[in-house]
Amino acid sequence: MSDKKKIEIRDLTKIYGDGVEVRALDGVDLDIEKGEFLAIIGPSGSGKSTLLNMIGILDTPTSGTILLDGIDITTASQRQRSKIRNQKLGFIFQYHHLLPDFNAIENVMMPLLINGIKKSKAKKIACEMLEEVGLYDRANHRPNQLSGGQNQRVAIARALANNPDIVIGDEPTGNLDSKSSDIIYDLLRKLNKEHDQTFILVTHDERMAEKTDRIIRLVDGKIVENSKVE
Amino acid sequence: MIPVYELFIAIRHLTSRRRQTILSILGIGLAVMILMISQASMVGFSQEMYKKTVDKMPHITIEPKPDDDHIYLYRSLAEDIRSIDEVIGVSCFLLGQATFEYEDTSKNIIMQGILIEDHDSVLHINDDITKGNLRDLEAIRNSVIIGDSLAEKLDVKVNDMIDASFPEANPTALKVVGIVDTGTPLDETLAYTSLSTAQDFFDESNVVNSIIVRVEDPDTAQPISDKIDTFGYPSSSWMETNPEILQTLMIEGMSNIIVLGMIIVIASFSMVSTMIMVVMEKTREIGMLMAMGVTRKSILAIFLLESGIMGLIGPIIGVSVGILVCLYFGSITFDMGEEAYGGVSTFPFIVRIQDAASIVFFTFLLNLVAGIYPARRASTFDPVEAISNE
Ligand SMILES: Nc1ncnc2c1ncn2[C@@H]1O[C@H](COP(=O)(O)OP(=O)(O)OP(=O)(O)O)[C@@H](O)[C@H]1O
Ligand SMILES: [Mg+2]
Repeated sequence: MSDKKKIEIRDLTKIYGDGVEVRALDGVDLDIEKGEFLAIIGPSGSGKSTLLNMIGILDTPTSGTILLDGIDITTASQRQRSKIRNQKLGFIFQYHHLLPDFNAIENVMMPLLINGIKKSKAKKIACEMLEEVGLYDRANHRPNQLSGGQNQRVAIARALANNPDIVIGDEPTGNLDSKSSDIIYDLLRKLNKEHDQTFILVTHDERMAEKTDRIIRLVDGKIVENSKVE
Repeated sequence: MIPVYELFIAIRHLTSRRRQTILSILGIGLAVMILMISQASMVGFSQEMYKKTVDKMPHITIEPKPDDDHIYLYRSLAEDIRSIDEVIGVSCFLLGQATFEYEDTSKNIIMQGILIEDHDSVLHINDDITKGNLRDLEAIRNSVIIGDSLAEKLDVKVNDMIDASFPEANPTALKVVGIVDTGTPLDETLAYTSLSTAQDFFDESNVVNSIIVRVEDPDTAQPISDKIDTFGYPSSSWMETNPEILQTLMIEGMSNIIVLGMIIVIASFSMVSTMIMVVMEKTREIGMLMAMGVTRKSILAIFLLESGIMGLIGPIIGVSVGILVCLYFGSITFDMGEEAYGGVSTFPFIVRIQDAASIVFFTFLLNLVAGIYPARRASTFDPVEAISNE
């Protein structure tokens, strides 16, 4: 038995049914160790986002369980889910997912403020995070004044602000050119090493997936490959 | 829970879509301003009419005991009433029917035998004398002052002699020494004589059958009347004898509020539709906030705060501007002629704090309630769908 915090996914199934039944996830079993850097790949419609949303407790499965440090998050109350999302999880989504009315530093501060941290302290932490992603000089820019890659770096800083156990990203470089994508991946890799946090990323890009520790390949809601990257 | 970041987000949303916010606030503000001005003029006008009406009527009336025709020992009763602090005038008089005859015309009238000074202190009758002199009632024996309509009907002028008679009364010739115009239907039947003339005519000595009282503040007539009640004779305040005056005031005020309240409802509706659009536009943002751990309750709070803030600033601005308009126009005197609006010659705006406060409060409440729908919608979004919303 490992004392490391981990994610245990057991027989996870998600069925969308509106007349035609779609098995977006079909009996997925997966263990993820703390500090792992994991890539989920697979063709479009294979259930990558669905799986990630389950881990991020944004969505509930039709059946099966997800244990986070031994606690079943699929049956948690709304309030508990919100709290876990805020404190234990960090989300990085595709482009355009910063709050457009708030500048970079305010976006990074937001999870901290939601966590009940004082504004002055939140600002200090947010500054450090922006520094870490190399955007300290753009702290007062709004998302529409930043490039796509810069937006994603702000989103990363925001995802890490509450020092979560798990960082999840759904195609965080999906809208970026390969050079910007490389920068983002290198940054994520660096942060993963420094903070010892679990990173789970969904990507289309096999080249990016090669930079991670482990690749999970989904086809039609089933895991068809689970291989360590050497 | 102190909604710190919720407020932060709500205010930022409002300031980011500045134009929409200002329009919504102005819409509500304008409606509230119209209501405030209308209410102030309504209240002012009613108060003016009310004051004029109540000023002309006895504030308190004391009658003989039931089964009795007269009030005995009225002088000492009058003294007792006069010793009440708020009482500023007491008049004892004898009132009865009589027939007036002049040349070929005769009319049934109400004769009031009064002590002129006392009666004037209660009803200011001297102000209504249009011809002749009130003093002459007591200076000249067997004299009478009659209503202008009655004078017209009998075709009499000052100094003419009228024959007064009635069954069981002593027929008397009365000299007309004045004409009174109260501006009410009473003028057709009103005839003032001195108390002693009336007592002689009705063959009663040392009694009256009515006492009327004027108090400093008509609004306090009721408790004073209750106190006079304990002196032994039934006493009623003007509120009891003329309840329709207060009812009219209330109904007028209510209908004004209801009609103009509709404008505020419409303005609030337009704010709600704005909020519904805002919530739609911000779908993805709401999903992001949920992913960051904002609870549904807090999402609800954010959007309720937005409509609440607009629903508070709007009426505060509206009421303030409305009050300024009232103060400005209220200080201007208009020449509208004697007859217009019962002789009211300035815009009688009365801004009551309770009106202003309740307009602000209820508009705020209305907007808050109206804002529940869009806010609830926002709080029930499915986070996954919201995030992937394009
Ligand atoms: N809300 C929904 N209702 C019905 N079907 C859904 C819903 N969400 C996803 N699906 C279906 O579930 C399957 C998995 O979808 P999912 O979004 O997880 O795919 P994906 O692997 O992320 O694809 P992509 O690479 O294109 O993002 C798809 O067939 C999709 O059509
Ligand atoms: Mg996807």
